[in-house]
Amino acid sequence: MRCCSNLAMHGMLGPISGSPLRQYDTVVSGGPMTPVNKDNNMRVLLIEDDQSVADYIVKGLRESGYRVDHLVDGKAGLDAAGGDDYDVMVIDRMLPTLDGLSIIKRVRAAGNNTPVLILSALGEVDDRVVGLKAGGDDYLTKPFAFAELLARLEALARRGDSGGPQTRLKVADLEMDLLSHKVSRAGENIILQPREFRLLEYLMKHASQVVTRTMLLENVWDYHFDPQTNVIDVHISRLRQKIDKGFDKPLLNTVRGAGYMLNEPE
Amino acid sequence: MNLNRILSSFTFRFSLIYIIVLSVAVTVVLGIVYAVYSYQFTNEVHNAIDSEFNALLKQYEQGGEAGVERFIKERSQPHRGSVFFYLLVDERGHKLAGNLSEWPQLSPYPRNWLNFDQYLLREDDFGDGSDFVGRSAEMEAGNRLLVARNYDDVRSYYKLVAGILIRGMIVTISLGAIGGAIMSQIFLRRIESINRSIDAIMDGDLSERIPVQPGGSEYELLVKNLNAMLHRIESLMAGMKQVSDNIAHDLRTPLTRLRNHLSELQIEGDATADSKVQSLIEEADGILGTFNALLRIARIESDSGHSAFCHVSVNVLLQDVVEFYEPLCSDRGQRLELSIHGETGLWADRDLFFQMLANLVDNAIKYTPGGGAIQVSAHQDAEWVEIMVADNGPGIPEPEREKVFQRFYRLEASRSLLPGNGLGLSLVAAVVQLHQGTVRLEGNNPGLRVLVRIPLAKS
Repeated sequence: MRCCSNLAMHGMLGPISGSPLRQYDTVVSGGPMTPVNKDNNMRVLLIEDDQSVADYIVKGLRESGYRVDHLVDGKAGLDAAGGDDYDVMVIDRMLPTLDGLSIIKRVRAAGNNTPVLILSALGEVDDRVVGLKAGGDDYLTKPFAFAELLARLEALARRGDSGGPQTRLKVADLEMDLLSHKVSRAGENIILQPREFRLLEYLMKHASQVVTRTMLLENVWDYHFDPQTNVIDVHISRLRQKIDKGFDKPLLNTVRGAGYMLNEPE
Repeated sequence: MNLNRILSSFTFRFSLIYIIVLSVAVTVVLGIVYAVYSYQFTNEVHNAIDSEFNALLKQYEQGGEAGVERFIKERSQPHRGSVFFYLLVDERGHKLAGNLSEWPQLSPYPRNWLNFDQYLLREDDFGDGSDFVGRSAEMEAGNRLLVARNYDDVRSYYKLVAGILIRGMIVTISLGAIGGAIMSQIFLRRIESINRSIDAIMDGDLSERIPVQPGGSEYELLVKNLNAMLHRIESLMAGMKQVSDNIAHDLRTPLTRLRNHLSELQIEGDATADSKVQSLIEEADGILGTFNALLRIARIESDSGHSAFCHVSVNVLLQDVVEFYEPLCSDRGQRLELSIHGETGLWADRDLFFQMLANLVDNAIKYTPGGGAIQVSAHQDAEWVEIMVADNGPGIPEPEREKVFQRFYRLEASRSLLPGNGLGLSLVAAVVQLHQGTVRLEGNNPGLRVLVRIPLAKS
């Protein structure tokens, strides 16, 4: 039921809106998805019993510069999760000896707050809600595009970096004051609608990370749904008009096949 | 209920026919009872007269006039309570013996019976209008003998019996009609309860069954047969769903792999192939989107639990969906208007409800030409929240309106021109059904108006 995550909305429909506004797009390609994170030394624990899925994830993550430990069994996974220091964990729900949600509950009970991404085969109704309630931080339904997994892992792994609540965000010459709700670029005030503000806030908090359309839907609009049309692109285009128009270096870029990235141009 | 409906209702016609048949039957039966009874009674009266006459004749033959005199005197004693009258006259008609004053004027009666009026009696014992029936015989020497019986009590007896039978008939027919009405009510109520169960099952969970009332009656058999039919329908549907689910599910994994390989290719590949690979990825995403939507509908339809339900404000959902789609509308030069009347709260699955609204608004945007207007509104009464999404596009022709909720059904006009997978409204229907609501399509002159009605939370 809540399976609309991942791929459904990527580039599904074009003709309605996207094209006339594409002129602002800057397409970024490189690495598998994340050009800035080669050799990021992030440690990932993967607990997954489906060999082909696991191989695929391990291969992709290693290519992206992650160090990955892979375990098949639930109990062994729990031991590893408690013993070692990981930046992020990817845990399948259905595992031999101990199921994924139980692992998460025990890990959380032990005071370990390492971000967890739950993987689930498409199945029961409120998988997602149940998973998040159990202590998971994000939820992805199989099958998924690797780009989606990578973007979400990236967001989770770096969540802890910020260190305490921020009041100001800054990407290149783009600045956002979270208290006064003011946005400016190169000292010039930019007027944003409330939703545009939230969109930009999310992008700035995840600056230099790939942010997928589903991530935006879930975090900026707070609905888990499939918009049928590429409406997100239209919202991004509008935001782009406001923050990038008239500047030489565009900050809000499209990562083809994955989503968007707000980053400082090199 | 208006008169027409009552008159045409099965109950009414059934009751009417039943009462007519019952009345005819009761009339025939009681008529026969009356005929047999009166025939027997008349016969007995006549036999009594005959035997009395024969006894008197015997007396006459043995004792002559004196014998008759003795016989009559003896019979007329008060303790005998006789209802008979006797008379012996000579050839000139003078009374020789008896308790009648003179020879009456006799009129013939069938089967040699005689009959005369009472006014000839001296005593006025029996009231007026009654008559007598009797036998007479001519003796030797011209004497005539007459034995008669007053017929009045017989007649009033008939009247009494007829009265009893008519009253009995009225009571029988009335009781029969009441009983029939009650019986037909009982039968019809059972049929109605079966109908209600079937309605409820068709509306809701196909795995439910009509409750069987044991007793080996035809009703039990009917219910068992209907349940068997439901079982068959359910297993057919489950089989169909299973097949489409399996296809969608099993094809999703290789498709995802294909898509991932394509995106690797895009990253490694050269610029010339890039746009081709991109369109392949989009193609794969489109197919995956269709599969996901199909699986999602199947999941919603097979879900009877409402564990993800919570209290949601329809107004907030509508504001969000309108805000979400507004940029798309303004890009296409369309107006998207929202009007909300009062507070609208529901017990609903928030994400699915939003998905439903998104599908409706998305459809309206898709099928309304540039410059058109889309109106979204909601209002709530005591029992329902009604949400309307109306556009002034080409609309949907009346005969097609039910069909567009079927999976993959698309209007011929939009099949080739507009993107979409033909599942948007199927999902709407599934979500509406999950919330026990109804969805209706109407003309908007011009355009289409979608009305979704969801019953208010019961908990």
